[in-house]
This record gives sequence, structure tokens and C-alpha cells, in this order.
Amino acid sequence: MILSSSLLWLYLVLLAPASGAVLSQVPYPRLSESIARGTSLLALAAGTALLILPGEGLFGPYFGLDRLSDLFLFLVAAVYASSTWFSRGYLAHVHRPFLTPERYYGLLGAFALAMLFTLSVSDLGLMWIGVEGTTVASALLIVLERRPTSVEAAWRYTIIASAGLTLSLFALLLLYRETGTLDAFTLAAHPPPLTSSLILVVGLALVGYGTKVGLFPMHTWLPDAHSEAPSPVSALFSGVLLPTALYAFLRVYDVVPEPVPADLKDLVLTFGLVTAVVAAFLLQQQRSFKRMLAYSSMENMGVATVGVGLGGLALYGALLLLVAHAFAKSSAFYSAGTVLRRVGTPQMSQVRDLRHRLPATSAAWALSGLAVTGTPPFGTFFGELFILSGAIATGELAVAGVLLLALVVAFLGVNAQLGRMIFLEDPQGPSSPLPESLGETFLPWGNVLVALLLGLVSLPYLSDAIRAAAAIVPGGLP
Amino acid sequence: MLPTSDVEALVGLGILLTALYLQSESFVGPLVDAIALQSLLVSILLGYLAWVDHDPALALLAGLAVAIRVLLIPYILRRQIRAFRWRFRELGASQRVASHALAAVAVAIVAWFIFQQTLGPGLPPVPGGAFPFVLLLEGLLMLSTRTNTLVQVMGYLEEENAVVYAGALFAGGFPLFLEVVIFLDVLGVVLVAVILSIQRSVVGVPEEEYLEELTG
Repeated sequence: MILSSSLLWLYLVLLAPASGAVLSQVPYPRLSESIARGTSLLALAAGTALLILPGEGLFGPYFGLDRLSDLFLFLVAAVYASSTWFSRGYLAHVHRPFLTPERYYGLLGAFALAMLFTLSVSDLGLMWIGVEGTTVASALLIVLERRPTSVEAAWRYTIIASAGLTLSLFALLLLYRETGTLDAFTLAAHPPPLTSSLILVVGLALVGYGTKVGLFPMHTWLPDAHSEAPSPVSALFSGVLLPTALYAFLRVYDVVPEPVPADLKDLVLTFGLVTAVVAAFLLQQQRSFKRMLAYSSMENMGVATVGVGLGGLALYGALLLLVAHAFAKSSAFYSAGTVLRRVGTPQMSQVRDLRHRLPATSAAWALSGLAVTGTPPFGTFFGELFILSGAIATGELAVAGVLLLALVVAFLGVNAQLGRMIFLEDPQGPSSPLPESLGETFLPWGNVLVALLLGLVSLPYLSDAIRAAAAIVPGGLP
Repeated sequence: MLPTSDVEALVGLGILLTALYLQSESFVGPLVDAIALQSLLVSILLGYLAWVDHDPALALLAGLAVAIRVLLIPYILRRQIRAFRWRFRELGASQRVASHALAAVAVAIVAWFIFQQTLGPGLPPVPGGAFPFVLLLEGLLMLSTRTNTLVQVMGYLEEENAVVYAGALFAGGFPLFLEVVIFLDVLGVVLVAVILSIQRSVVGVPEEEYLEELTG
């Protein structure tokens, strides 16, 4: 009976990474790692339980769950667990790391905790603290490899993300002034009257949280942080941090009474579209494969934002895209980490013939490249298809056209560059295979298969949860 | 004794003048003094409102502002300037001072108009009510146009001052406001104390030499 209590799983999903962060400070690296791995699995178990039960309702004045938060909690817990398990092999090859393994696992737990906290509170002020907490917890993780460029990336990330989030806080101050409450569930159930002030509040929140989502032109921290962070952390950034920030914006957007005014809808669509197009073109010019993947994440977030702006079927598509992208992009970053470690350079022009050198890794990387660019039959394809269909169904043909252009350009850019690294022969002659461990290949394959299954079959609980989440958001599925 | 509205207007004007000065100065030392002065003015306003409204939370916020943003962070910033002589003046800023100053005035006017058109009608008629919004956009302008890392910290502090200022004027009773401001302060200290120190230990070279690597 007690196992069916949502409160128990809510406690566990928060306490597991919190205890992992604290207990992993024991001065024995292997024990620290085992604690981090164990607690990340506990968090995943709790996240899965909330998805299955599902966890719904308010828990005290500050905490609250619904199908949307359940879905995101599971997503964060899943990528947190896979990143923690992938970290061992990665850390073993970092020369003179800035953080000891204990500190690394501690910060990783704190980072996950901040995201999970953001998703489990109903108070928008606490949600803001959670999003800001992700910056504090993750900034030092970027510096792990002690490169001057890593320090610069951490700096840009902290200053730009914090500046953006200050705008969101300003928006919340004004929202509180307008409504007298910051409870997201109450505000969604009883939206305040539409005023010019409320539109400005949502606009400021879009720019503020949009900074953390990676929306153009506030995205400049994103490619630096994603490319300089260690790969397991990049996977968390791309896979779940950006969606968590989008979730925070979605909660503020929920406050707007139906129907959403056209100028506000246009604002969200414009930010999403411009982000998708700019990212799709910028990723063509990259020299580092991690930066290219970072721009691909930005492009996906732009597409998902368009889905949020359109609502209805497109919102369902956006949620499906976010879930499938989280698994596919984490897989892509794990493979990128293995390639970086084994080949020794992130420069795409110097990486060739991976199909012979790292066959298992390169196959997973090729699949994840196809997945993050929305190739059928991956879940991302159906997510993008629903967004496009939603745009066409609502008469937004120009939006659909521009979006399609961005999707095609991104598809060609990512897959052509990955294809060159994987299939082109090395001009210096045939290359010998490099070692690949099971730990390095299992997680990239596992995660990309989830993205594939999301498109092929209706996954128990997960597919239902996406549909249910899209139905509860105002403007979502009927 | 001056009426509350006069005090709010007078201190608000002082805060606005420091914001405009920050945009037009390229030497880092005077910038640190100016941001400390701006934070002091904000804390004076908070202290005054705490006294008038008998609000202990505002008094605590005023004390916090003095401890962190008037004393601690400026102290760390001055140490950074001593440690890195090349940070004494923003690179190439002398040629851009005039454009920065003009942009600052333009942003102030635009922000004032946006406030009057959107937020103003729904808010109580406080003298200088638009100043926090102007200050917020001035802080953003500073962050986006300046390249020196220390100057960017000051842009961040200016934004924080704007939020605290707005909270004191308009959002009385905002839940967890004190906690939120403490959190912002912690982040400010993390920014200047931790990341700048790491930069010092790992990098130790002028910014422009390694910024080249993060392009595209």
C-alpha cells in the first residue's frame, strides 16, 4: 500500500540525488562512485514509479505533481542515471582533472537534484530557485578538464544564464503583483484577466527562461558550455537541462487565459523559429563535433518552442520530441565522449574511418545522429511531424515552411558531418581498431534504442504519459 | 522629515545616475566604486522603507546588501584588479565610451516608455516607479556590450540591484523574497570568488589570447 503513495516516490526522487551528493564525498573514489551509481538508480526507480502511478496532487504549500511534471521527472532521472554510469570510463581518461571523483559525483548529484526540485515544486518562486540552482551546481563541472577554454565557457554560462534568469525573477515579481500568488497550479486553474502587464510578464519569462533553453539570441553560452563540459555532463545539459528550463517557462505560459492572444503566440513562435533556423545554419560551420551537437540541441529546442507556441497536436509533438531527443542526444554525447577520448581530438576534419576504428561506438553515433535530426522511424520524427501537422492544421503555413527548411538543413548538416567521420577513409592509410569497452558502448546503444522504440511502438507508461501531459497543459490535446 | 515619496524619488534618481555612469566608464576601479555606491543607495532605500513600514525582512535585505554587494564583492573585485593588472581598464573600451553612453540613454528612454505603456497603469503611483525596470535593462546592456569579465560581474550586480529595488517598491509580501535575494548573492559571490579564482589559476593570460578558441 505504501508503495502506491506518490509522496513516498516524490521524497525518494529528491532524496536519492541529495544523499548521493553528500555521501559520495567519502574519501574513497571507488566507494564514492558506487554510492553515486546506486543513488542515481534509486532516483530512476522513483521517477519510473511516479510515471507509472502516476504522482498527482499538491503536497504541502510548495510541492505539487501532475502528469507533466511526472514525465519530466522521469526524463531527468533517466538521463542522470545513465550519465552517472557513463562517467567512470570518461573520468579515467581525464588528465589532471580539476575535480576529484568525489567532488565530481557530488556536483553531478546536486545538479540532478536542482533539476528534479524544479520539476516537483508548484511554487513559481521555488521553481526559479531550482533553475538558478542548476547553474550554481553545474558551472564547476564544465571546468573538469582544466582547459582555459573550459573556464571561459563556465564563465559565459554562469553570467549569461544568471542574467537571463534575473529577467524571469523580475517577471515573477510582476506576476505576484498582478495575482497575489505564485502557485502554478492555482494560477493555471484560475488564470488572471489578460492585461498588457501579463503579456509583458510572459514576454520577460520567455526571454529569461529562454536564455537557459538556448533560444536565439540569448543562446551564446550553450555551444561553449556543451562543448567544453565532460561528455556525461553535456548529455545532461542537452538532454534534460534545456527541457527543464522550457518546463519552467511552460508553467508561466499556463497562466495566460485561453485563447492565448495572437501577439503572445507570435512572440513564442518567432523565438522558436528563429532559434531553429539560426542553429540549423550555424551547425554547418562547426569544426568541433561537440559544438555541432550543441547547435543541434539548440535547433531541437527551437522546434519544441514552436510546438509550445502552436499548442494542440503540436504541443504533443513538442513533448514527444523532448523525450525522444533527451535519449537520442545523451547517446550522441556519450559516443562523442568515447571518440574524443580514443581519437584524441574534437576536430571533425581530423577524425576519419570510425567504422573500422570504433565500430560499435560509431554505429551508435550514426543512429543517434539520425535520431536527433528527426529521421523516421525515431520518436523525434513523429514529434516533428506532429508539430508540422499542427502548424498546417492551424493555417500557419509560413511557420510550417520555415520549420521544414530548418529541419532539412539540420538533417543534412549533422548527418553529412557524422558520415564523413564514420565512413570516409583516413588519407594516411588504413587505421587499426581502437579498444572499446562494454561500458562505453552499452549506454549509447541503450539510450538511442529508447528513442527508436518511442517511434516504433507505444511504450508502456511512457507514451501514455506524453499524451496525458499534453492534455493537461492549456491549449494542449483535447 | 522628508515625505516617503521624496526619499524614494531622490534615492531612485541617484541609482539611475550611477547606472548611467557605469555605462560610460572604462576604468575598472571607478566602476567598482560606482557599483558599490549603487548598492549602497539601494540598501539605504531598503533600510528607509523597513523603518517606515516596520518590516524586518526589508531591514535584513538592507543589511545583506551592505554586507555582500557594498563590501564583500567590491573587495574581491579590487583584489582581482590588483592580481591582474591587464584588467585595470577594459580592452578597447576608450573608443566605445561615447557609443556606450548614448546607448545607455536610449535604453533608459525606451525602458521608461515600455514601463509607462504596460506596467505603469497597473502599479501604485510610486515616484521613480519606472527606475527598477530602467536599471534592469541598463544591467542587461552592460552585460551584452562589455567584454571585460569584471565589468560583466558589475552588470550582473546591477541586475540584482534592479530586482531588489523592484521588490521593495512593488512586490511587498512576495513569498521567499529574502531567500531569493540570498540565493542571488550567493551566485554573485560564486561568480567573482570561485570562477575568477579558477580563471586566475588555470588561465593567467589576457582574455583576448584564448577567447579566439571559442568561436563559431
